[in-house]
Amino acid sequence: MARVEARDADALASLYDRHGGRLLGLAQRILGAGGEAEEVLQEVFLFAWRAAATFDPARGNVLTWLMIATRSRSIDRLRARRPASRPEIRSLEEVADPPAAPDDVEAASASREWEGICRAAVSELPEDQRRALELAYFEGLTHQEIADRTKSPLGTVKTRVRLGLMKLRERMRPYSKGGSDGA
Amino acid sequence: MAHSERHEELVAALALGMPLGAERAELEAHLAEGCAVCEALLAELREASAALGAAVPPAAPPPELRGRILASLGPSRGAGRPAAASPTPWRVLAAAAVLLLAVIVLDDARLRRDREELRSQSADLASRLQTTETELAQRVLRARVLESEDVQMMHLGGQGPQPGARAKVFWSPAARRGVLMAANLAPLPPDRQYELWVFLDGKPVNAGVFDPDTEGRALFESKDFPQPAAQNFAVTVEPRGGMPAPTGPIVLVGKPA
Repeated sequence: MARVEARDADALASLYDRHGGRLLGLAQRILGAGGEAEEVLQEVFLFAWRAAATFDPARGNVLTWLMIATRSRSIDRLRARRPASRPEIRSLEEVADPPAAPDDVEAASASREWEGICRAAVSELPEDQRRALELAYFEGLTHQEIADRTKSPLGTVKTRVRLGLMKLRERMRPYSKGGSDGA
Repeated sequence: MAHSERHEELVAALALGMPLGAERAELEAHLAEGCAVCEALLAELREASAALGAAVPPAAPPPELRGRILASLGPSRGAGRPAAASPTPWRVLAAAAVLLLAVIVLDDARLRRDREELRSQSADLASRLQTTETELAQRVLRARVLESEDVQMMHLGGQGPQPGARAKVFWSPAARRGVLMAANLAPLPPDRQYELWVFLDGKPVNAGVFDPDTEGRALFESKDFPQPAAQNFAVTVEPRGGMPAPTGPIVLVGKPA
C-alpha cells in the first residue's frame, strides 16, 4: 500500500514537472497572477492525487483532464469574487471521460507545438465568435452575461457560441485522435 | 424531443462549462433519450473547448511551489520535510470530494445503463413497427389488385442465369395496375436492378424497376401499368434506374418464346 502511494506520489511529481507550468498559466489567465492561481494549482494536484485511482490514463489525455479541473476551480473562485455570483455545479465536467487528444501532447516539445496549433485555431475564428467563447471559457459568463457585456442580443450570443465552437472543432479535427472515440 | 439546433446550443454551452441553470435538466433529458448526435457532439466539442485552454502560454511556477504542493499531498511525500502546517482540513475536504465524486460516478453509471436499456427497447420497437408497416403495405397492395373484378394472373418461370427464380404477376386492366410477386431471385450488384417488362403486341414495354429483399423475394407494384392488354411478361437485369428497352439477360418470363 505504501509502495503504491509512493509510486502515485512520484507519478504526481513528474506530472507536476510536465504540466504544472501550463496549468498555472491557465489559472493565471482566469484569475490573474498571484497567490490564488497557485492555490488552484495546489487544489488540482490534490484532487489528481486523490482521484488518480478513478482515472485511467489509457482512457484519455491527462493534461486535458487536469485542464478541465483547473479551469472549473479557477472559474469557481472568479465567480466567488463577483457579488451576484451563484455556486456552480461542476459534476458533469469532471465526471465526464476526458476527451481524447493526441498522445504526443504528453511530450514537452509536442506540448509546445500543440499550444501553437491551438492558438492558431482560436485566432482564426471570427472576432465576435472568439470573444464569446473566451468570455465563456475564461470568465465563466452565461449567455445572458455575454450578451450584456458585448451589448449583443441573447440569440446572437447563443449562435456565436455554438458556431464558434463548431468551427473550432473543424479546425482541430485534423489533429484529433480517431474523432468520436466510439462514444 | 427530436434533435434540434437548440440542443446543439445547449451541448456547446455544456462542453464549454457554461452555467446552464434549468436548461441543464432539459439537455440531460434529451441525452437520456439517447440522442446519438448530441452525445458524439458533446465529446467532440469538449475536445474543441480544451483548445481554448491549451492556447494559453504556460507560466513559470515559483520554484518553492513544487515543494509546497508535493508536501501537501501527505506525510509519505515528506522526503525529510514536515507536512504542511494543517493538513487535516484539506484531508477532510478531499475525502468529502472523493465521496461526492464516487456518488456522482455511480449515479452517472446508473443513468447510462438506463439509457442503454431504453435505447435497445426503442430500437426493438422501431424494428417491429417497420415489419408491421411493411406487412400492412404488402397486404394493401395485394388487396387492391386481387380484389379487382377483372384480376388476371400469370406464372413466370426462371431461365437463363437464374433457373430457380419464379414469380406471379397479378394485374387488373381496369385498375391499370399490376403486382409482381417473385422468389429465389439472385442478389444483384449495387449498380443493377431487376426490370419488369409487359409485352404488348409482341413488344416489351417498361413497367418499372425493383430490388429483391435479402432473401431473394420481391413484391413490386407497377404503377404505370401499360395498357391495353398484356400478353406476356418478362424480367431482365438492367443498369440501376432501368432502360427503355431490355439489354440484359432475361431471368423470368411468362410464356417462353
